[in-house]
Amino acid sequence: MLRYIARRLLWAVALLFIVTAVIFVIFNVLPTADPAQLRAGRGASVEQIEAIRESLGLNDPIHVRFARYVEGVVTEFDLGRSIFQNNAPVRDIIFDRLPATIMLTVGAAILWLAVAIPVGVISAVRRRSLLDRTTMITTLTLISAPVFWLGLVALYLFAQDVGVIKIFPGIGAYSEADTFLGKVGAMILPWIVLASATAAIYARYIRSQMIEVMGEDYIRTARAKGAPEGVVVRRHGLRSALTPVVTLLGVDIGTLLAGNAILTETVFNIPGVGGELASAIGQSDYELIQGIVLFGAFFIVIFSLIVDVLYAYLDPRVRYS
Amino acid sequence: MTPTTTSDLTLKTKSDRKGPNMRRHPWLLTLLVLALALALPACGGGDDHEGGGGSTGGGTGIPEEFAAPTAPPEDAQPGGELTVIAAEDIDYMDPGPAYYQFTYMVTAAAHRTLLGWKPDDTTEPSPDLAAEEPEISDDGKTITFKLREGIKFSPPVDREVTSADVKYAIERGLLPGVANAYLPSYLGDVVGFKQALKQARENPTGGAPDIPGIQTPDDQTLVIELERPTAATVIQALSLPISAPVPEEYAKEFDAENPSTYGEHVVFTGPYMVENNAKGELVGYKPGREIRLVRNPNWDPETDYRPAYLDAITIREGFADTASASRRILNGSAQVNGDLTPPPNVIQEAAQSAEPGQLTATPSGGNRYIALNTQAPPFDDINVRKAVVAASDRVALRNTRGGELVGPVATHYIPPNFPGFEEAGGVEGTGADFLAKPEGDIELAKEYMRQAGYESGMCEGDCTVTLVGDGASPAKETTAVFEDALRALGFEPQTRGVARDIMYTRFCGNPKAAPNVCPSVGWLKDFNDPQSMLQPTFSGDQIQPSNNVNWPQLDVPEINEAIDEATLIADPEERAKAWGEIDKMITEQAAAVPYVWDNQVNIQSADVAGVINLFNANWDLAFTSLKAE
Repeated sequence: MLRYIARRLLWAVALLFIVTAVIFVIFNVLPTADPAQLRAGRGASVEQIEAIRESLGLNDPIHVRFARYVEGVVTEFDLGRSIFQNNAPVRDIIFDRLPATIMLTVGAAILWLAVAIPVGVISAVRRRSLLDRTTMITTLTLISAPVFWLGLVALYLFAQDVGVIKIFPGIGAYSEADTFLGKVGAMILPWIVLASATAAIYARYIRSQMIEVMGEDYIRTARAKGAPEGVVVRRHGLRSALTPVVTLLGVDIGTLLAGNAILTETVFNIPGVGGELASAIGQSDYELIQGIVLFGAFFIVIFSLIVDVLYAYLDPRVRYS
Repeated sequence: MTPTTTSDLTLKTKSDRKGPNMRRHPWLLTLLVLALALALPACGGGDDHEGGGGSTGGGTGIPEEFAAPTAPPEDAQPGGELTVIAAEDIDYMDPGPAYYQFTYMVTAAAHRTLLGWKPDDTTEPSPDLAAEEPEISDDGKTITFKLREGIKFSPPVDREVTSADVKYAIERGLLPGVANAYLPSYLGDVVGFKQALKQARENPTGGAPDIPGIQTPDDQTLVIELERPTAATVIQALSLPISAPVPEEYAKEFDAENPSTYGEHVVFTGPYMVENNAKGELVGYKPGREIRLVRNPNWDPETDYRPAYLDAITIREGFADTASASRRILNGSAQVNGDLTPPPNVIQEAAQSAEPGQLTATPSGGNRYIALNTQAPPFDDINVRKAVVAASDRVALRNTRGGELVGPVATHYIPPNFPGFEEAGGVEGTGADFLAKPEGDIELAKEYMRQAGYESGMCEGDCTVTLVGDGASPAKETTAVFEDALRALGFEPQTRGVARDIMYTRFCGNPKAAPNVCPSVGWLKDFNDPQSMLQPTFSGDQIQPSNNVNWPQLDVPEINEAIDEATLIADPEERAKAWGEIDKMITEQAAAVPYVWDNQVNIQSADVAGVINLFNANWDLAFTSLKAE
């Protein structure tokens, strides 16, 4: 197992290097706008732009710039500086935004698993029942609802500041909260919104997995041996059905931490990585976009590795050598 | 005269933030005003050119009930905390590179520049850090400022400001790591400026270069020597944040980095400061999230014209959904808008149900136009240009951005309430026949086509016209309306809608790749002087191979010469007259289709006695107060 993890870690490093190179080429060789011009501002003279370009080493050959970037990333985790946010280091901006994104992701993941697993299992066990049909129609509706729309509807219905029924803290409440409990309160609506669509997908996925698993020979064997149905479902069925779900979960958590909660964070004004990415894209803040994308790639690679390792524990048939 | 750099009105997204009036979602402003105009037909009046009186008069099209308050109430209450909400962040906390309207909202409350803009100042700035009006020598080449005594830096510097701090503030602006965008344009005539700029470029982290023309004979005196008599421009430019003092002994270690990190350690001289710690680190500034302004303990109200009623101001950022954010303000969950503009439906609600004064509109000092490339066929022919301008329905063009409240239909380039506006013809225009009918004059257009050699009055032969514009609303709708004018004359428009940055850097700002038409451009003042409106945008001497803002590439020797001469005029009346005449000359060239002089909408909650600063067209935090409960 250790050898496997070591090999995967090496691959992860190689993969991150490739990702870094690709991202660097996209933002430095094929930029849609000139970073020196953006930093100088509209109306700045050609001489000023050239001075900035020179001072930032943008005239150096591409391999020199790439080597400098990689060296900065490896030695100091220096991802450059934002063009528009007060020249702030990209690393600091990401770290500043990460807690909110982690809180949003973890809370939403707990919520969607807590809903999706029982719904998926019950739907699978009571296939074609009224309950099954109702939950599947509901999940289809939720999957079809865009997150930003769901977020806006939730705000206009339930937010304390702009809602009709003032129940939950509203827009920007996360930033305004001074305590952990206050931040938890501010996350209730975002969690529900983010978890809704994802829970629906998971519920359908778990249902189909369960239906497949419950038809396997070993399930029949377990029943033949007299195991109670609850034990058959939970211990033999669900455990097998969840294995591919773990893959899905790992990728989803990785991408959400990488900034994929962009819509939820934007609608609720949660100062997270996704909201920051949206803002950076809107401003053409290339160094910031580059840094967030690289950071996101790191999360996805790491979570893929974690998922693969977890497989061995969840499914006894999986062994690494 | 060195090139004049001003901000671009079309640069109202954060990506274009080096310009003072760059709001997020400017299209919302226009749409909302359209909605407002529709919702309140009785408010707008029936005349495009009807002004509202007071600060909103002079053809701005703003009804009196939405006039911007420019003075605090007599019973203004001291104390309390104000919450400002914004979509995005300021550009720089460092006053050196700061060049954005929303940033000016903060700098005006936290810094003292040599000259400042009181809320109702529209033409001349008032002495602020300076004790009195600057003295100009008879030859117009020497400006002497006497600094006010008793002004101190905020902690941890805690010492009195001297003239050397202003000199350093200007000089560090030349460092590539600070990169002030407007200094070379407005202060380029200071003796030794160009050598200093070269020195900064050669040694970007070696400290601020010395500008010999800026002298400090004593702690309270700042003397600026000029190579040419351009004092009028220099003085106005010193009302911008670049003249906010910076203590060299404290800042130089931050300026030794590239980019400078002084922005994370700024010290202040105004009534407010960003909350900091003992080391000077701005703990109250979380880029993109929050700015917390607290009282500056070293500020002496006896030395300042700002009342500074509030105890603290919190600016919360990241409110991308402007509808929700605006509702928060209107219902009192937040108190005033920062960079965001309310969308039409919210404005409609506010107009119908909000209390008087919650909704205001202010002339922004900007214009919008459709630039015709004068250096390439078919628009290298002035008659073809006049034909296209005459064929354009400028009311429809304006209406794509909003109704009457978004601003009156422009007839030339200097905006209302601006020196030179009346001299150029006011709202009625310069007298150019091709601009006489706002809805367009197709017969006149065809006549001009015939004068251009098209006997049928319609384009013949290769009639393709390329356009590159902003692909987002409402700019794309504006482009579509203009395409109709082109088609009416037989042209075949080929339009490419792109992101705004790409439009500027790859096409409209790059003369080699410039299309026939740039339909999504406009300009916003740097300060209230017509030079800042006309020189960068229409002087042939300003055309540069990249980052060009003379989008029509107009290069008429007589205009260039007149601009050169006008930059040297110091007398305000003579200056306004000269620039008014230049505006007429430019307009006569039909290098663009001017279609709106912009207004700007701001909102406040019912518990706020907000004051608008007309120079910045936004809330003046140092004059705003909370109403008594």
